[in-house]
Amino acid sequence: MRKMERLSSIYLVGVFIVLYAPIFYLVYYSFNSAGTMYSFEGFTFDWYREVFCDTRLFIILLNTIVIALLSSAISTVIGVLGALAITRVKTKRFRNALLTLNNVMIVSPDVIIGASFLVLFTMIGINLGFGSVLISHIAFSVPIVVLMVLPNLEEMSPTLIDAAQDLGASRWDVLTRVVIPYISPGIFAGFFMALTYSLDDFAVTFFVTGGGFSTLSVEIYSLARRGISLTINALSTLIFLVTLLLVLGYYIISKQGAKPGKAGVRE
Amino acid sequence: MKKVMQMFITVVIAALGLMYLTFVLNSQQGYSGGNTLTVYNWGDYIDPELITKFQQETGIKIIYQTFDSNEAMLTKIAQGGTSFDVAIPSDYAISKMKEQGLLIPLDHCKIPNLKYIDPRFLDLPFDENNEYSAPYFWGTLGIIYNPEILEGMEFTSWNDLWDERLRNEILLYDSAREVIGMGLNSLHYSLNDTDIDHLMEAKRKLDALSPNIKAIVGDEVKMLLANEEAAIGVVWSGDASEIIGANDKLDYVIPDEGTNIWFDNIVIPAGAKNVEGAHLFINFMLDPENAAQNTEYVGYSTPNMKALEYLPEEITGDVRFYPGSDITDKFELYENLGKKMTAYYNELFLEFKMHRK
Repeated sequence: MRKMERLSSIYLVGVFIVLYAPIFYLVYYSFNSAGTMYSFEGFTFDWYREVFCDTRLFIILLNTIVIALLSSAISTVIGVLGALAITRVKTKRFRNALLTLNNVMIVSPDVIIGASFLVLFTMIGINLGFGSVLISHIAFSVPIVVLMVLPNLEEMSPTLIDAAQDLGASRWDVLTRVVIPYISPGIFAGFFMALTYSLDDFAVTFFVTGGGFSTLSVEIYSLARRGISLTINALSTLIFLVTLLLVLGYYIISKQGAKPGKAGVRE
Repeated sequence: MKKVMQMFITVVIAALGLMYLTFVLNSQQGYSGGNTLTVYNWGDYIDPELITKFQQETGIKIIYQTFDSNEAMLTKIAQGGTSFDVAIPSDYAISKMKEQGLLIPLDHCKIPNLKYIDPRFLDLPFDENNEYSAPYFWGTLGIIYNPEILEGMEFTSWNDLWDERLRNEILLYDSAREVIGMGLNSLHYSLNDTDIDHLMEAKRKLDALSPNIKAIVGDEVKMLLANEEAAIGVVWSGDASEIIGANDKLDYVIPDEGTNIWFDNIVIPAGAKNVEGAHLFINFMLDPENAAQNTEYVGYSTPNMKALEYLPEEITGDVRFYPGSDITDKFELYENLGKKMTAYYNELFLEFKMHRK
């Protein structure tokens, strides 16, 4: 038995090495003073300094964060409302249909979502830029939030709501004091998922940016065309770290939320 | 509820704060005023100092945006959601844009510096009389090789690539016109040949080359050659100068039979908002001193005759990148072959790629 455990942990380590090796390779060379990806000469922070000295890049970084924060906040609100609406639907077939429509958005390739948004924006005459990127990011984040919140809503016992109503709670009270506190782990999880998706997104953003507005992933892509400068490595390392922090934040919050026995209790 | 609200409010406040910061930064850089010029160019294809210089001289702020392929640029401009004041497409893309009415004619009175351009590079088939475009950089397709690995082998002709000693050493671009063109050139046919027999002959000849081919790649060709992972590549002169910059053991030759010559020209796309500024920018980039500075930064060949005087002898005297007119006469531009012929080229190229060694 013990032997099996050891084998499986070796296997696990192997898988993780394969998964993370390219990222660490890239991170390692971001400190290379030689300026190439193949011979490590000496340790330097030059590439990072270059990243921070570049105001344009900094503005793009800020743009990326603003888009991520705003789109995930707005999509959390819409997503939670959507999830509530889906659970209210009484007929099972209609509910399943709604859920499937929701899941289709998650499964369909980013390229298609991006291209169709581009067509849509051009047709109705929305200028490409901040607004178009924000709208499309909200659009692909909402289904994720719905999916994260739904399980929480479904496992919530309907008797909780009945009990609250029996004790004289209005519908608003039921929503804000019973339902939302109960599903808050799902809300946070959905928010962080949306945040990481928005930060990572390349394909959709690539289609709908314009007018001098750009996000990091799109910028890195156009920088990488010449593929020589290590500022790309430095920048990618920074993004990797931020994403890592977000995942950690998500993990800590979901762990806190998992503590039982607090549902519906006023703090 | 309280926790959720707190978090929500924090996020919104943080986002608004960051937006304000972006706004402040943008206005410090002058991007928010009306006097801006949006330049749409390949990544890292201009000396950033020249952008600063242009801004200081004219007071026009430049918004610099990049694309990675002519096709991506064409789509963005044709789609029309954003306006670009200046763009830098390649020759064949310019003729496509012209066909689709995506270009604004240049006012030659406003670009006096056009007189510094070498007449060899003016009035070309893709834009007669330079009605719509001004040359930015030009180059060739040639052979780059590593004499050290190849123990002193020399290359003068496309046919040298068929040498048996070069088993599994050659890198090619994943691009139909380049590869089929190379096959046609090696048989002394035109790059724009539409004779089916000639094309089949070229295809058979290319099939014979396949044992020598290591890989058919994209931009990574630069890294692979600079890292000496392959000995020979068929590359654009611009890429070649970059590879040689990274690893000076390599050498570049233009084959005797002739080859493709390509241009990246500056144009004003339809929908430009600052046409006046765009002319200023084009004239600024054609200024000999600026063109020279840009050439040193980018490393491609400048079409600006006067700029050559400002460049060091080691750059301008290099016949690999500045061949004389006796050689450039043998070069050919890619002509638009029409849909049917382009499809046929692509099909031949696909068959070549699938050919077993």
